[in-house]
Amino acid sequence: MNDKDLLVCRCEEISDEEIREAIRQGARTITGIKRRTRAGMGLCQGRTCQRLVARILAEETGMKPEDIDPGTDRPPVKPVSFGVLGGVAND
Amino acid sequence: MSDVIVIGAGPAGLAGAIACAEFGLKVTVLDEFFRPGGRLLGQLYEEPSGNWWNGIKEAERLQQKTKDLAIDVRCGVSVFNLEKDELLWNVHTNAGSMKASYVLVATGSAEYPIPVPGWTLPGVMSIGAAQVMTNVHRVQVGKKGIIIGANILAFAILTELQLAGIQVDRIVLPEKSPISQEAGEPEEVLKSLLSAAHLAPSLLLRFGSVFMKNGLLRKIALNFYPKGGMKISGTPLQLRKAAMEIVGKKQVEGVRVVDITPNGATVPGSDKIYEADFVCIAGGLYPLTEITAVAGCPFQFVPELGGHIPVHSEWMETPLQGLFVAGNITGIEGGKIAMAQGTVAGLAIVKRSGKEAGSIDRLLQKSVDYVRDVRQHAPIQFNPGVDEGRQTMKELWVSKYGKEGKVIS
Ligand SMILES: Cc1cc2nc3c(=O)[nH]c(=O)nc-3n(C[C@H](O)[C@H](O)[C@H](O)COP(=O)(O)OP(=O)(O)OC[C@H]3O[C@@H](n4cnc5c(N)ncnc54)[C@H](O)[C@@H]3O)c2cc1C
Repeated sequence: MNDKDLLVCRCEEISDEEIREAIRQGARTITGIKRRTRAGMGLCQGRTCQRLVARILAEETGMKPEDIDPGTDRPPVKPVSFGVLGGVAND
Repeated sequence: MSDVIVIGAGPAGLAGAIACAEFGLKVTVLDEFFRPGGRLLGQLYEEPSGNWWNGIKEAERLQQKTKDLAIDVRCGVSVFNLEKDELLWNVHTNAGSMKASYVLVATGSAEYPIPVPGWTLPGVMSIGAAQVMTNVHRVQVGKKGIIIGANILAFAILTELQLAGIQVDRIVLPEKSPISQEAGEPEEVLKSLLSAAHLAPSLLLRFGSVFMKNGLLRKIALNFYPKGGMKISGTPLQLRKAAMEIVGKKQVEGVRVVDITPNGATVPGSDKIYEADFVCIAGGLYPLTEITAVAGCPFQFVPELGGHIPVHSEWMETPLQGLFVAGNITGIEGGKIAMAQGTVAGLAIVKRSGKEAGSIDRLLQKSVDYVRDVRQHAPIQFNPGVDEGRQTMKELWVSKYGKEGKVIS
């Protein structure tokens, strides 16, 4: 699967190659890759690609799956409007 | 204000809510889908006993119970954050924030994707999406499909598609790679078929389950694996073929497939395009744990349970006071087990709330035993090592927090 254009993060349209490039530039966590590429920042908030990004990270660096921290989720874990975040919709 | 907020209205969440409400706790259930039931809504298959498991009926039964107990079930509500102030849990949703002393997170699982060139073409979907479209929305996903990925979920949903009169042309493996991992290894796939015996009976009859348990014999079996595949309820399962690319201009027109050796290596020049107007990718399931992660719950990597799992006791209690988990978020298993775990979590919340001092310990213990019992007779087992995985988590909990669930902070 060395297709350079193969999309991994479908929401933000980030390719396999772009993720590997981020790792080559030094990203060592899922969050690091997210910050460099936006992978996992789209509508699904990484529900689709996060596990794939973890596997690519393991492949590129030789890290063990158990050492790749999944606990990097940050609120909001689902897309919400600024109004909701700002408390407009609070009851 | 509710005593308990349940996040997720699948079998685990609903059963948990019901157990709490039966002891007089005030419960609110939140789910982002438009109707309660979670993954139950897609499930329809015959069990080895000959009984039919109809998930929609089960969901309706649970929903009726929530009505009888005046449980407030709110659908279309998405939880995006969970945090604790000094006393209470704050559940933040797209419909505002709420507080409660106890929260049960039962958000279930999600599917592993397997990226295949062409997988963004219209007509490509995850196998779970095909299940939801077929059994929940009653929409025909296509006329003739190919499934990429051979696992228990794919077989269960294959039979559901067939019941709906949709033709599935063949099941092939994804190309072997560090991304597809075991899903691209014929031997691993063959091994996992053991736990799907009742869904792939012809295969096992041919090879015999003893045959499959032995590594060497498995290799031999793969060497002689028929090129055309072996049929699972009419659809050939082709363990010696891998999908290289999904082809089509504006939508799926077919899949380019190559022959593979027993260890998954591709045979050059063996490419062939099989026509199809839809493709399902079946990559397996992982626990959907994000809400527990933002809440600060510690995790443990337990591969048999599906990956990183929020640490929890047999009472489904996390180390964070008032935070409970149940169902697939604690490990990938079938709907009946999720339901039984939900009851445990609900009873544990009742115990912690001090509502029912007398009989609760005995009931709680009974419900814990019942989970094991259901597991033993489960018609669907996603991971053959699930017992060991559960044991690992139990031992971790006991070593860290003590047997009866001492609570941090
Ligand atoms: C695609 C798929 C197919 C499956 N097919 C089968 C099968 O055929 N047979 C079988 O036995 N098991 C199957 N399973 C396993 C299934 O997960 C269990 O059977 C069972 O449904 C798990 O119950 P649960 O209550 O833990 O989670 P679920 O039934 O998944 O319910 C979780 C609920 O939480 C909600 N939710 C998640 N996150 C949020 C959030 N942030 N805010 C609000 N709500 C949220 C979801 O909308 C969902 O309704 C399948 C799983 C999947 C993912």
